[in-house]
Amino acid sequence: MIKQTRLMGALVGLALLAACAKGPERTPLEVEIFSTIREQIALRRAPKQERPPLTRALLDTLGSPYIEVTLEANGIFAYLQPQLVRRDDGPGEVVHWVTEDQVSVTLRDGILIATRGLRGDLLSASTLAQSGGPQGPEGRGARLFDLRFGDHESKTLEMACTVADLGAEPLEIVEITYATHHLQETCEGANGRIVNDFWVDSRTGRVWQSRQWAGPLNGYIRIRQLTL
Amino acid sequence: MTGSTTTPRQMRGRAKLRAALVLAFTAGLTSIAQAQTVAEAPNFDRPAQPSLNFYGSPGIIDLPSGEHLPEGQFTTTYSYFGGTSRYNLTFQALPWLSASFRYNGIQNLNLFGFNTYYDRGFDVRFRLLRERKYLPTLTLGLQDFAGTGIYASEYLAATKTFDTPGLGGGDGTLKVTAGLGWGRLGSNGAIGTIGTRGAFNGGDTGGELSVDQWFRGDVAPFAGLEWELDDRWGIKAEYSSDAYELETQQSNVFERKSSLNFGVEYQQSPGLRLGAYYLYGSEIGVNAQIQLNPRHPTQPIRIPAPTPVVPRSQWATEEAHWSPDWAASENKRGQIRDLMADALKADGLTLEAVILEGNVAEVRYRNNRYRSYTLTIGRVARAMARTLPPSVETFRIVPVRRGLGLSTTVIRRSDLEALEFAPEAADALVAVTGFQNAGPLPEGADFSDELYPAFATSISPYAAPAYFDPDQPFRLDVGLDFGASYAPAPGWLVSGTIRHRLAGNVEDGRASNSVLPRVRTNQVEYAQFDTTLENLYVARNWKPASDLYARATVGLLESNFGGVSGEVLWKPVNSRLALGVEGNYVKQRDFDQRFSFQEYSVFTGHASAYYEAPRGFLAQVDVGRYLAGDVGATFSVDKTFNNGWSVGGFFTLTNVSAEEFGEGSFDKGIRFRIPLDWLWGKPSRNAFGLTVRPTQRDGGARLSVPGRLYGQIREGHRKSLVDQKARIWE
Repeated sequence: MIKQTRLMGALVGLALLAACAKGPERTPLEVEIFSTIREQIALRRAPKQERPPLTRALLDTLGSPYIEVTLEANGIFAYLQPQLVRRDDGPGEVVHWVTEDQVSVTLRDGILIATRGLRGDLLSASTLAQSGGPQGPEGRGARLFDLRFGDHESKTLEMACTVADLGAEPLEIVEITYATHHLQETCEGANGRIVNDFWVDSRTGRVWQSRQWAGPLNGYIRIRQLTL
Repeated sequence: MTGSTTTPRQMRGRAKLRAALVLAFTAGLTSIAQAQTVAEAPNFDRPAQPSLNFYGSPGIIDLPSGEHLPEGQFTTTYSYFGGTSRYNLTFQALPWLSASFRYNGIQNLNLFGFNTYYDRGFDVRFRLLRERKYLPTLTLGLQDFAGTGIYASEYLAATKTFDTPGLGGGDGTLKVTAGLGWGRLGSNGAIGTIGTRGAFNGGDTGGELSVDQWFRGDVAPFAGLEWELDDRWGIKAEYSSDAYELETQQSNVFERKSSLNFGVEYQQSPGLRLGAYYLYGSEIGVNAQIQLNPRHPTQPIRIPAPTPVVPRSQWATEEAHWSPDWAASENKRGQIRDLMADALKADGLTLEAVILEGNVAEVRYRNNRYRSYTLTIGRVARAMARTLPPSVETFRIVPVRRGLGLSTTVIRRSDLEALEFAPEAADALVAVTGFQNAGPLPEGADFSDELYPAFATSISPYAAPAYFDPDQPFRLDVGLDFGASYAPAPGWLVSGTIRHRLAGNVEDGRASNSVLPRVRTNQVEYAQFDTTLENLYVARNWKPASDLYARATVGLLESNFGGVSGEVLWKPVNSRLALGVEGNYVKQRDFDQRFSFQEYSVFTGHASAYYEAPRGFLAQVDVGRYLAGDVGATFSVDKTFNNGWSVGGFFTLTNVSAEEFGEGSFDKGIRFRIPLDWLWGKPSRNAFGLTVRPTQRDGGARLSVPGRLYGQIREGHRKSLVDQKARIWE
């Protein structure tokens, strides 16, 4: 009896390994489960790749623009390249940045307006960007944050924001120090309060570094401009 | 819920701040001011959920409380004490209405001709009052109101929450419950009597509403306390009004020495709570509670970012770029079609056909990857913006399923270019998007090279369960399915499955005692064979007219029946109502499930109405003739969610009498579906589905035809698409 059970166990095990599907029809549930489990095991077993330490000498060899984005809550970071630079009916310049593994962050004059490829993405946002003049937010006004939430739906948060200039601060990014102004945008709404920080170049008006809220799931993210 | 909702939120805020500070000091990353901003930021936490009792309803230990679950909550509990085990499923269908299904076993009851007595039952609960500053929440419950009624009771329960100090200086919550019970819950310490109540009869066929019993007989008070010490730990105590007469006086299942029960519970994770108890002065009990909410996935989905739309103004800079002359060249159209196929493939979609004109382009595609059709429409629109010449301004996007165009979404390319980064981009785009019927394929359509004719094969494990045999409540067969299909042209499908069983015990089940034609109770006979032909059929789907969908299927349709089947469905893209007719002439297959048939044949068919009601409810009525030749109607309601979850129930009344039908009196059941992508957070169109009938009999049984129309069509129509508009730019 035990032998028979073992034989059956072995047969079932073999059956699971054999599960597969080919062709343009939908994959059966069981096949999908087992292929995902196999993928996960392979992923766990794969050796982790170490990234070399960031030095200016290394950055100088890149020759194209890069930003570094860090999820503050868990310290996970990535380097992103611009995929699209454009203008639309809104103020400022929109830059769509993307990682190698298809996670994207979209900035309007350095202000975060969308993320994709994360969980609980920021779908869209209005900003206090102004046409002309330096990048970053300015003045006061309402901001809308449309966040992916719930049952394939979104939740829109409306917040009242004001921007304060906290004065000049030198800012170092990988061995280069920039003369910047520290702008702080404080937004309050029925659901809570968020504080976004921007370090804006005192001369060119470029946002070199920021810390911005990307929604309840992803929390605050930190962005630094590594190369131009 | 004034007390209970604010306190946990403050506690969560504090816990977050603590966690953020720890991170700040250890990593040296974050200043204290920044940790404060993390704690203050908006969060979309799961709503507070009450703990559950031994019957799977919000409550104390063995008794109910007045509380309700958050809307949509789906819970499973297993409880055990003194030889009594209960498996419960509870669904909060509306903020004020919940329903439960229970399967229970009482060991050594030795009554009604069974050693271990197994039974099924349904409960419903109605919230009469919500908790206010001075008022408690009040609930009316009907327990085991339709089965054979071993747990039959009715109650009114009121619960009030109070803020208290908790463990270690934190915040706690005290919940005080008091109630009145009838039936089983009125059997200990009665304070009065209202009319008379019949005795429980364990040998009855059951299944009928025991309306004449409700709120009759003795009425007794009960009470309980629950003290939540912190986010994790809780202690409970109650005074029970259940005398357990059947178990302790008529039989000897356990000894009831006290009316007081005590317990301690631990919240292992947001979804799992475990409890240990001391009941009735003599027994140790356990309770495991699993709570899920379809609106709060265990793992929020993550999908690779789409490629942004590049406005034509950036790349079509010369007048000549904008000419529509390319559409005349077959060669150019072929190139564009191949580019489009590649662009869709990158997103996991399959191109069926393109119709290219100078200013308008239509893309027909198949979606085997994503749950949301709205999301795929967004991805297809982006692919069109990437690959089509600048002269094309109007995009027509048609999802196709089994050769049927589901709907046409019309998007202007300039809107797509203008709105991608606008505030509230999803609302803005959907506001200027049109949803129309999908027309027939025109002559000039360019078909994808890769699809027709198309072969598909699969080898897949399967599990076929059988439930609720009194000797053994759960039986299972497992093995392999070998499937193959061939699609010679759009809308045509030849498909078959060979099933090979590797192990199982369904074949040892009990034989049928049905007096009706045995159209569904011969499960054991059919389970005697290891290698069977599960199905083999030819199907054709087509659109006979605008808003009409048709299907014809011939062959071995399912494991028990073969024959011909035809269906026509009327469902305008913008309508919440759909109407359908289906007719089948089928013959019962031989038990070995090869190519031969038995004597029995029947004409079975239904006229059906489907309605998409508010709050995700889907109502369906089918009137017609069933497999055993009985005539009647099936009523079903399912609560559906955009993410593929659905929970519902159905019942069928036919001209078969309760005696002829047998155990259960009429056909009824519950069903639910949990999508794989909801569980795993990666795209999939598959789901775990389960239909549970208290008993499977022959009355009110329907044919199981592959590829019925309504379910496939609805998802691609306007209501589903607009309900998920948030996903169009994802």
